[in-house]
Formats: sequence, C-alpha cells, structure tokens
Amino acid sequence: MIVPMKFVTLVLMRDDREAVLRALQKQGSMMLCEQEGAVRAGTENAAALRRMEKLLSDLKPYTPKKGMFSEKPQVDANAFEAPSTADSQTADRMEALLAQIDNAKERQKQLSDRQTALYPWAQLSASAEDLADGAYTNCTLGVVPKKQFPNLTAFCEESGAAVEKISETEQAVYLVLAALKDGAPLDLASFGFQKCTLPLTAGTVADELRRIAAEQNELQKQLDEDTAQLTALTGDSLAPQVLCDHYRAESDIDDAPFLSTAQTVLLCGWVPEKRVAEVEQTVRAVTEVYDLTARDPVDGEEVPTALENKKLVSQFEGITNMFSVPSYGGYDPNAVMAPWYWLIFGMMMGDVGYGLMMVVLISIVKKIMKPKGDTKKLINVLLYSSITTILCGVLFGSYFGETWHPILFSPLENPVQMLIVTLGIGVAHIFTGLIVQIVNSVKAGHWLDAICDQVSWILVISGICLIFLAATRTVGIVLACVGAAIILFTAGRAKKGIIGKITGGLVGLYGITNYLSDILSYSRILALSLATGVVGMVMNMLAGMIQGSVIGFVLSLLIYIVGHVFNLVLGLLSAYVHDCRLQYIEFYGKFYEGSGKLFQPLSINPKYIQIQENGGN
Amino acid sequence: MSGISIAIIGAALCAALAGCGSAIGVMAAGKAAAGVASEKPELFGKLLVLQALPGTQGIYGFLTAILIMVRIGVLGGAPVELSMSQGWQFFGAAMPMAIAGLVSGICQGKAAVGAIHMTGKQPDASGKGITMTALVETYAILALLASILVLFGIQL
Repeated sequence: MIVPMKFVTLVLMRDDREAVLRALQKQGSMMLCEQEGAVRAGTENAAALRRMEKLLSDLKPYTPKKGMFSEKPQVDANAFEAPSTADSQTADRMEALLAQIDNAKERQKQLSDRQTALYPWAQLSASAEDLADGAYTNCTLGVVPKKQFPNLTAFCEESGAAVEKISETEQAVYLVLAALKDGAPLDLASFGFQKCTLPLTAGTVADELRRIAAEQNELQKQLDEDTAQLTALTGDSLAPQVLCDHYRAESDIDDAPFLSTAQTVLLCGWVPEKRVAEVEQTVRAVTEVYDLTARDPVDGEEVPTALENKKLVSQFEGITNMFSVPSYGGYDPNAVMAPWYWLIFGMMMGDVGYGLMMVVLISIVKKIMKPKGDTKKLINVLLYSSITTILCGVLFGSYFGETWHPILFSPLENPVQMLIVTLGIGVAHIFTGLIVQIVNSVKAGHWLDAICDQVSWILVISGICLIFLAATRTVGIVLACVGAAIILFTAGRAKKGIIGKITGGLVGLYGITNYLSDILSYSRILALSLATGVVGMVMNMLAGMIQGSVIGFVLSLLIYIVGHVFNLVLGLLSAYVHDCRLQYIEFYGKFYEGSGKLFQPLSINPKYIQIQENGGN
Repeated sequence: MSGISIAIIGAALCAALAGCGSAIGVMAAGKAAAGVASEKPELFGKLLVLQALPGTQGIYGFLTAILIMVRIGVLGGAPVELSMSQGWQFFGAAMPMAIAGLVSGICQGKAAVGAIHMTGKQPDASGKGITMTALVETYAILALLASILVLFGIQL
C-alpha cells in the first residue's frame, strides 16, 4: 500500500532552525524538498565529513581485520550526538601519525634513490673535495659501455690522461678520469662515454653511504613505532567512525534547503499523513514559536512514495524497488508479487536438503551479522523462500539431489510433465498480472480498456490451453476465437482512419507471440530445478565413487560438504536472479508502471556504527 | 565409429564449449570488476554477483554432459550398446547447449561488463544491471531445456 502524503510548510524563527531540524532528523518522518531560491547552511560539516572519510580510508591498512560477518560496533547515543573532544583529539593524533608515516616513507624513498645513485661510486676513495678542480688537473667522473673500456683506456694513455676504474656492472664501467688542464680537450663521446656528477658536495662516498644507512635505520625504527602506535590507536578507538557518522548527520542537517528572511526561515517537505501530528509534536517540543501547515499534494507534483505493507509482504519491497519504485498515486504491486516470488523461488530450488541448509545458514548469518535495512529484507526473503524450497522438495521428492518417494513425480524422470507444470504456473502468473490490470482499469472507470486489452487475452490463452484437452476442445476453440475477434476489432481503436484501425487490430493480434514467449520463459523454472538437482546428484556420485577406504570416506565427506555448499550458493544466485526476472519482465510488464521516487526522510543513517539508545528509551 | 563414441564426443563438446563460453564471459566481467574494485573496493559484493552471472552456461554444459553420460551408462553403470543413429541422436541433443552455451556465455560476459561499469558509477543500479545481464541467459536456459528434452526423448 502506498502511504498518503502531506506537503508540510514549516515557518520557524531563524535561531530555532538547527534545533528543530535535529529533532526532526531524530524522528525521521520528513523528507525536505528543494524550493526556489532556497539556501543551505554552511559546508563546514560536509568538509569535516570528507576529512573523516579520507582519514578512515587512509587508516584501512592499519585497522585490524574484522570478520566478514561481524556486526557494526555499538556507540552510545550521547557520544554520537556530541562527540567528546577526546575523540577529535584522537582523530587529530591519527592524522598526525599518518602524516608522519607518509613523510618517513617519502624520506625513505629519497634516501634509497640517493643510495642507488651513489652505489656505483662506493669504492671511490677520494672525497668530493679531492675531486674538485685542482691547479693543473681536471677530474671527471663518467660511465662507459664495458666493451669500449679497453679502447678508452688505450686512448687516454696516449693522450696523457689517467683512468681509474671504480666499479663495473654487466654492461658498464664506472670510472674517474684525470686530465691535464692545459692538454688538448679529449673527445671521448665516440667511446660512448657519459659524464656523471657525483651527487655529493663533501666527504667520501663511503661516509655518505654509511650516513644514509644510519638514517634509514633511524627512520625505520620511527616508522615501526608510529605504525605500532597507529595500529594500537585504531584498534581500540572508534573516534574516526563516530566522528564520520556524526558529521554525516550534521551535514545532512546543513544540506536541508530553506528560505530565509532576517528573522525567520521556511522549511517545506513531505510527511506521511499519519505522522504529521508527530512532526508537529516534535517541533512543539523544541519551540513554541512556529507555524505548521499541511496540505494535500496537487496534480503534477512529484510526490515521494512510502510503502506500508504487512510485515511478511514488506520484506519483498526491495525486489520491486530494485526494478522501479511505485509512483505515488500508482499501484503497489508488492502484495500480489510476494506470494508468486515466494512460490517460484521454491520451485527453482526445489530440494529438501538445500531448503534445510538455507534455514540453518541464514539463521546463523542473521544471528551474527544482525543485518539492517534492505539487506535484512533480502535475507528474510531467502529465509521465507526456504519454506517453499522444502515443500517443493517434498512434492518432487528431491533430497540433496537424490530422488526419494516423490509425492507428485520426479522432474528428472518426468521432465515433460514438469514442463507442463511450470508453464501452468506461468499462465497463472501472467493471468494474475492481467487481472490486477483489469481491477485497476475498472477502478479508474476504463471498462472498455479492461475488456479489450486484458479480458480478451485471458480468453485467447485459456482457450488455447483448453484445446489441448480432448474433452474441452470445442469450448477452447470458441473461447480463443472470441478473444481473438475482440483483439482484432478493438486493438486499433485509438488509431485514426480505417486503415490505422485495421493494422492496429492485426498488430494487436500479433501480440500473441509476446504472450507465448512470456509463457515459455517459465520453462526456466524446470531448467533451474533440474540444474540444482543434477549438480547435487553429481556431487553425490563423485563422493560415492571414492568411498572405499577410510581416507576415501573422509575425502568423500569433504566432497559432500564443499559440493553441496557450492551448489547451494550457485542455486540461490540463479533462483534469485531468474525469479526477479520473471517478476520484472513477464509479470510487471502486464500492469506495473513504476518510476516513483522513494521517500527518504531526513534521518540518522550511521554507516560505521550502531547507535545505542541510552537510558532504556 | 560406434554409436557410443559419437555420444561421448557430444557430451564432451557440450561441457567444453559451454565451459569456454563461460570462461571467456567470466574473464571479461572479472577484468571490468577488478578495474571498478580498484577504485571502489566496497562494491566487491555487488561486482562478484555480476561477475558470476556468465558462469552458469559452463554449469549447464557440464550438467548436460553428465546427463548424457548417465543416460548412455558411461557414468555409474554398464555402457549401453548404441547404434550409429542413436549416437548421433545424443550428439544432436548436446548441440543446443554446446553452441548456445558458448555464444551466450561470451555475450553475457559483455553485458556483464556494461552492468559492472554502470554499478561503478551508480552502485544502487546494480539490481538493474543484474536483470539486464540475466536476460542474455534466457537463451542458454532455453538451450538447456531443448537439450534435456531431446535427451530424455531418445529411445534406447
């Protein structure tokens, strides 16, 4: 059911704005909306939020790993609403440590680059001062390809220059060359000689390397210390998480658009009709000076959709919302979709063993993870579907892939019969969709549309189905012909001109192919139930093959467990996806128009923590 | 060549071709998912589901192969004496799944890549992406159905 909404306009004193918004956020019943000329409060909180998000992502490598299914930590409501200065100090300390670690790493990189540059010259005994230009000689450092080195030496000896090899690698020789200042300039480029400058201004290379090693040691020690400190800090403080969620809530308040005069502000937004009184109460608790008016939505306004369904049905809302949110003033399909989703899921899984495994595993996940919101709903859908999975398993006699006393028949031994059952389910499912559309059309007063577009197709399809039974063949033929005649004569009624009406009728009749492919699409129920069953059977067979000795028996247990869990996960994924598809395309295609906007009130949505209400309220 | 050899070749092609299709599809989706996860590691769960989608063809192919092997008694039982014609019948039964599995696995992988990119930009749209990707699988499922129906229709 779609909840009726009211458009609420709230006038407040400027000074009360923040307090009222905070109270409304806590209550979570009002979705503020954009107005022309609206302004927003400052962006400091948003900046603080970004800072904390960045801190949290930077902290990731230092945060102790939590299990995949662990629960969010609980934080006291007071600590969340007004974080202590200790918390922000901790966050500052973490940032400072992160900056220190970053600096140290940067310095380490510089040092190791320098080390690499100096390394070839480690054996150079002369200091930087020694290499400076002397009175009569020039010293040059350089590198030359290894195979040119003998040529270069010979050439230098001829020219009266001295060459000393310092070190060599596989390809190159590092050398120092001393030449007389007044001698002819040496042309060494032809030997592939490249001049180098020693990255050092004083002292010897060896000394510098020792100094670098010492500094690196020091840095590493500092780095280890900082890292340990940071890890300890993130291990026992929730400060960044609390602050992050706190600033998120605050920046949501800042982000609420309002119109403002010198003294007053005007806020407006959507509130479910039932909760208008509560909203007013909340405002009154904060201030006496206010004006609140609520009006019904007018045509053309984009009203957000809030859904309200019985608890069982409401778990399936997420599936509809994933396709498209029902539009306000539209039809909420969840109540009709839920039982079908439930049934079809069970048929696709269709195994007692897997159903029981679902119950056990999902209960464990619920117990440990305590999921909230949409995840919780999805998990509940799976939990409910385990019931139909077990029921279908009993009906079709499937136990962990093995067939055992089916009440109806076994799909593996009788696939054609199962195919007929699944197509029957498909026809019933599609008829449900058509009937929903008939009801909606009739409610809106469109009798003719209901008869021409839906009743006619129900006649055609049920007629075709009856033709297959010998006893009802004549009835079937009559029904199908009546239906087809209605379509032929009315499908083009909106078109102009006689030719348009004729082609419209023919095109309408051609729609039979859509219905046929829709119905055939339900054969996937058979395919998926066979797939689950057969893969399970294969696992049993594989395990059975190696059961001969004690080791074989242990190994076979492993195959049973791994194989069936694998098959279960795969089966769940397929059943979930293909059940969704049947609802979205085959079922919703018949009547559902979504494209609504979900009602998302101003509320507190912590991402990293759970808020624990204090004092028993 | 005896009938049973032809049937076995059919079963082998079924598992091999559908497996190749899935491998290519999952590989393409995996590459895209890895790219998105490098920017947004928190989407890993959603991406994994999308990446897994093109994997079903391989399983259908494997399933069909096993069913053929059970039917001709290669697995768990004495091999049935098959005539040439019966062998070709089994071969024919394997073909829908083998060919459609190969092609639809690759194509579904491409659709999954698109859906993964969409999820990277709009994490809330992953459900729509899953549906779009799953539409491709319809044809693999129909092929599986055709293979199974033919398989069980063969008279021994």
